[in-house]
Amino acid sequence: MTTYIIRRLLYTIPIIFGVLLVTFILFNVVGGDVSAEIAGKAASKETIEEIRKEYGFDKPLFFSRDSQFINHLKNAVTFNFGRAYDREPVTSKIKRGILPSLSLTVPMFFGLLIISISLSLVVAFVRGSNWDTTAVVICVAGMSIPYLSFILFGQYFLAYKWGLFPVFFSPDLSPVQYVALPVIIGIVSGLGSNLRFYRTVMLDEMRSDYVRTAFAKGLAARRVLFKHVLKNAMIPIITRVVLAIPFLFLGSLLLERFFGIPGLGYLMIEAIGSRDFRVINAMTYISAVLFVIFNLVTDICYALVDPRVSLE
Amino acid sequence: MDFVRKLAPIALITALLIFAGCGRSPSKSEPNQITIYNALHAKIRGLDPGDIGDTTSAVVASQIFECLYQYHYLKRPYELIPQLAESMPQVSEDGLEYTIRIKRGVYFADDACFEGGKGRELKSADFIYAWKRIADIKYLSKNWWIFDGRIVGLDEFREYTKSCKKAEDVDYSREVEGLQCPDDYTLVIKLKKPWPQITYLLAHQPTAPMAREAVEYYKKDIINHPVGTGPFMLKIWHRGSYLEMVRNPNWRGEKYPTEGEKGDLEKGLLADAGRDLPMTDKINWMIIQEDQPRWLQFLRGKIDASGIPKDNFGQAIDPQRKLTAEMRRRSVHLEIFRDPSTYWLGFNMEDPVVGGNKPLRQAISCAIDREKYIELFTNNRGEAAYGFIPPLMKAYDPAISEMAETGYNPEKAKEFVKEAGKIYGGDLPVLKLSLPGTDTVFRQIGQFIRNNLEQVGIKLEVEYTDWPTFQDKVKSKSAQMFSLGWIADYPDAENFLQLFYSKNASPGSNNFNYSNPEFDRIYEQASVMQDSPERTELYRKAERIVVKDCPAVFMLHGVAFVLYHDWIHNYKPHAFGYGLAKYRRIDQAKRAAYKGEK
Repeated sequence: MTTYIIRRLLYTIPIIFGVLLVTFILFNVVGGDVSAEIAGKAASKETIEEIRKEYGFDKPLFFSRDSQFINHLKNAVTFNFGRAYDREPVTSKIKRGILPSLSLTVPMFFGLLIISISLSLVVAFVRGSNWDTTAVVICVAGMSIPYLSFILFGQYFLAYKWGLFPVFFSPDLSPVQYVALPVIIGIVSGLGSNLRFYRTVMLDEMRSDYVRTAFAKGLAARRVLFKHVLKNAMIPIITRVVLAIPFLFLGSLLLERFFGIPGLGYLMIEAIGSRDFRVINAMTYISAVLFVIFNLVTDICYALVDPRVSLE
Repeated sequence: MDFVRKLAPIALITALLIFAGCGRSPSKSEPNQITIYNALHAKIRGLDPGDIGDTTSAVVASQIFECLYQYHYLKRPYELIPQLAESMPQVSEDGLEYTIRIKRGVYFADDACFEGGKGRELKSADFIYAWKRIADIKYLSKNWWIFDGRIVGLDEFREYTKSCKKAEDVDYSREVEGLQCPDDYTLVIKLKKPWPQITYLLAHQPTAPMAREAVEYYKKDIINHPVGTGPFMLKIWHRGSYLEMVRNPNWRGEKYPTEGEKGDLEKGLLADAGRDLPMTDKINWMIIQEDQPRWLQFLRGKIDASGIPKDNFGQAIDPQRKLTAEMRRRSVHLEIFRDPSTYWLGFNMEDPVVGGNKPLRQAISCAIDREKYIELFTNNRGEAAYGFIPPLMKAYDPAISEMAETGYNPEKAKEFVKEAGKIYGGDLPVLKLSLPGTDTVFRQIGQFIRNNLEQVGIKLEVEYTDWPTFQDKVKSKSAQMFSLGWIADYPDAENFLQLFYSKNASPGSNNFNYSNPEFDRIYEQASVMQDSPERTELYRKAERIVVKDCPAVFMLHGVAFVLYHDWIHNYKPHAFGYGLAKYRRIDQAKRAAYKGEK
């Protein structure tokens, strides 16, 4: 297992390198120079030149010991992301954004997971009935409605019209108050695709011989569903769940923006809008590293939950 | 039970994250504290005046920092009055030396950067330090344009900073001949040539004094730690989310103006005449970038004033440009005022196709239906433009629309197209327009302009780019046509004229790369003249030269609509309105009553 983990970790090097290369090309080669934007509305040529020097834009892109790409790699490896174009250190921006993002995404993640798995078990149990058909129709409808519509609708009706929640973040509100509505919207909007996926997984298991045997032996439905079906459906569930964890750190772009939660999703969209490569680079790099790590965690989990899987 | 036990850690993690993730708590409000609630459309980039280049940061910073001069809050036309200066400057006969006395007893807000945490008295050296800092190339200020080529010895100081290897190597004690402080309360500025606009610039946020102790204490983090002399000081700044300011106990104090313009008395704008400022204890700035939550927060009474989002315009304003019944029921007030702004489609005059073909540029100008554009894309919040000097300026020429001959006229445009074809020597190529955005509205704008041009036989390709890419294209002279605008920094049309001065060509502010020796001559003559009817006439003459050469299709001058709640008093729009929170008065009872309304 140790050998397997080491081998997998070594595989991550070319993957991360590829991510860094693509991000660099997208924002530095294709995107062009942002010095004029940083310099302000009436900047002189010399100020723009000085900015190019300060941020290293005057150096060759590749093929030099001191090229922009080599510096980009060095900074990534040492987690030294420097200062963003608004002069604030990138790491402070990220540190500040992590907890607000997690305060939104973690409850959303667990809420969605628990509700969709529980409902999928119920729907799988009543498969073929009108309840099942209704659930599938609602799921498809939920998947078809754009995410933004859920936000606009929720904010307008639940918060503004009916006054059940605050419309937007305010410093005098308790965290639970202003996170509640975005979490609910996140759960409701994600329910369609999740429920549909878990229903399919559960149905595959429900059709298995061991389930029929369990029922024939007279086991209670609750015991069959939670003890046997759920356990055997763990492989696809783990794949989906563990690989979703890195994205929790990225926050939720639209929800954060519409509800004023200053998380990493908000930070990322700001950075893309102003082409702040240092922030984009840091966020992409961290996401890539997390994604690779959680990919490995997924594989290890397979071996833990399924005795047939061995890591060699 | 077992299931519940398994879920308990998840619930605990979730709860901890919710509570931990939402930042520091706001300061506890005392029961009688009066707070202004504002919303900002964009994030605050930083609160270091020398580095501020965006309106949002400037509006916020202007409550904390003060300048030598400020605009009278009520009088129109805009008039400068002393702020940190004791009086208006004494100007030498040749207009080259300004002597400014600084008020005594002005203190910086208390801050850890000062000895014992107690703010020290403001001295004339603080201004010189702040301005040298802007000149320091290592500091990369966005505001060097203010002093570029103006003050004796300052350009040399900038040259010297270029020779320094690191920012830390710059010696700020190095003398600049044109910036002298004979004593702690006197500032002498020596100019290279007359610069009548200097007093406007001395009321401009970036020229605010800086305490050297603060810069040296906070170093690069000075953007997060504003230490000023203004009526408010920073309490909490949760970047990207909200900012809270409280009254600065060290503030020198000021009274509400006792005079205004005609009609101010009737509007109740002089009800607080002579009262001590500020009339509030706290300002709360929320950053709400999306239209819907900002609008809903305004309707709920959570913010005091708001612009009107495009999609909600009909809900607030009726076709007669009056408040709708719903807004009147909410006791909302409306202010409509002219912005000192002009927006245009610019031509790159160095481009071989459009630059050397005046009839082509005139054809494009005649092909675009400005009135329709204003109706479609601004909810009629604009006036069609024919020149670049906006109506708010004294030098605005009402006759420019008749003189321009490039207003909407498709038939005339077709004639110009024929002429343009002859000059080009065949069928005109497909032209390229760069727009600074990629969203739906920009795509609709692109389509509108393309349709207008197609109707007169001009083919257009529209390129939608993000703002930095657009800037890069314009500054590197690679955009053929581009959509841009300018909002005046001060109430002098010179601020618009410099946009066409050949020495300011890209990457400078002359994005058109326009060059006309006659215009340059007039600009050079007028820009050093004191305000006079002769100067106004020269400004108008210069504008007519530009309009005739047609380096841009002048589209519109902005008109702003602002709504504010009944509990806000002393709300008067100001085109150069920085540091205005100190004048506001809040009727707490009315605000409470509105919030209680179901």
